[in-house]
Amino acid sequence: MESEEAETLFSLVKDKYGDKIAPEELDAVKEAVERIVETSMELRSVELGNWDEPFTVFKPYRRQEE
Amino acid sequence: MNPVYTPLRRLSESIRSGEASPVELAETFLGRLETHGPTLNAVVTLTKERAMEQARRAEEEIRKGKARGPLHGIPWGGKDLLATAGIPTTWGAAPFKNQVFDYDAAVVERLEDAGAVLLAKLAMIELAGGMGYRQPNASFTGPCATPWSPRHWSGGSSSGSGAAVGAGLVPFAIGSETWGSILSPANNCGVSGLRPTYGRVSRHGAMALSWTLDKLGPLCQTADCCGIVLEAIAGHDPRDHSTSKRRYRYALKRDGVRVAVPKGVTDGVAEPVKRNFDEAMREVERFAEVEEIEFPEFPYEAVTRTILNAEAAASFDEFTERGLARGLTAPECRYGPYARTVVLAKDYLKALRLRERVARIAEDAMEQYDAVAAPSRGTTVPEIDKEFRKVTPGTTRDTMGALGNGAGLPAISVPSGFDGEGLPTGIQFMGRAYGENGVLSVAVEYQSRTKWHTVHPDRFIP
Repeated sequence: MESEEAETLFSLVKDKYGDKIAPEELDAVKEAVERIVETSMELRSVELGNWDEPFTVFKPYRRQEE
Repeated sequence: MNPVYTPLRRLSESIRSGEASPVELAETFLGRLETHGPTLNAVVTLTKERAMEQARRAEEEIRKGKARGPLHGIPWGGKDLLATAGIPTTWGAAPFKNQVFDYDAAVVERLEDAGAVLLAKLAMIELAGGMGYRQPNASFTGPCATPWSPRHWSGGSSSGSGAAVGAGLVPFAIGSETWGSILSPANNCGVSGLRPTYGRVSRHGAMALSWTLDKLGPLCQTADCCGIVLEAIAGHDPRDHSTSKRRYRYALKRDGVRVAVPKGVTDGVAEPVKRNFDEAMREVERFAEVEEIEFPEFPYEAVTRTILNAEAAASFDEFTERGLARGLTAPECRYGPYARTVVLAKDYLKALRLRERVARIAEDAMEQYDAVAAPSRGTTVPEIDKEFRKVTPGTTRDTMGALGNGAGLPAISVPSGFDGEGLPTGIQFMGRAYGENGVLSVAVEYQSRTKWHTVHPDRFIP
């Protein structure tokens, strides 16, 4: 499934890493970007409230004092 | 007593009684690693010097009556992503084959404190599979074979850990799992493999693939052995902020065991796997109350996949930017890291926000049960020279793996029989967070009633 978002993100990958990717590998990279966008769409389809925060919570750090 | 394929409890008794000596055990298993390791591509580095020093120390301490516990004097092997001072730690990847750290990983320290004897650094899929491998030849040490067939794959990414235990080259091994990397080799090699709760075991000194998914755990001959090893390696470590302050003590529940089976869990699963799973569940029903449950529809795989993609992109950012992926073994891993660099921050955070829903769904569904049972893998053991997707058409979705790893839940895979080609199949028991003793109780009781864990490949039986 191709989408405008996948095309845009693939262009970004090609611009940034094109010199590290062989021409015959580009189709596979494009497919991988498309799968990432499809996966993101699945996530975006679930509604959350503004107050639903990430399950990984930042804890301020203070060294334990003697 | 022949120590090969002897479970840890019996091996430990024989050391304490003087029937077996740590030095002789180290020599025996080092010899097996040297002889059989290369035939499986299971070993990266033998740690012979360190092993003999630890074995002599253990022997001396035991002789003087200073016992350190059930692993004292027992040999083991570690997946080659655990740092070991002065010994190469390759992460299974050619670009890191000369990497040497000057410290030990926390797990290595804990096993040293327990008196265990490190014999070898064991083979693994390059970078723990983080670059998206699609076939077994994805390690600079070559594709690792299951001890059951040189033409079939050991599983991965803890490939050598599974193969070495399955071939009786070490009494136990440590592997790691981000998504499937302990259960897969346990399944393919016909051994018991325990993925602990996220944060149960310190990952200090272990290669990071995905900070909020990575777990370290044992692969052993039996579920009982896994409990013994877990007790030795579990515990809080201030160097790993994910570690829990809950103390772990291995203890089995004898009565009132309850097991759930997710609805449709064998839909689309290979026939031999389904047949053995159904047979295993008939055995489980003889000692446990078994009920069907249903996990609600939810994008479990999208949540866990997005977290893995984003964190792997970040943890290997420098590697990616420097173009080091070109030095990897699997062709698909050489371009694997680039696509995931464009996972959007908002999508990663959405996945982390949805993770709480996944955790609550799991707890709601599993609260009444000691374990949820499912086939460890949906397919039979893949051939060693084929792409996975070519040999596993129509592979089912891995809801158990996505939900279990996404929510950080413990699971154990134990052997459930063989397919028509004589290759092992496995059954997994997954538990609630910090519910290792629940899944171990089910697995230990199951193994007390079945023989699959006592059957070993002929060519490795001494």
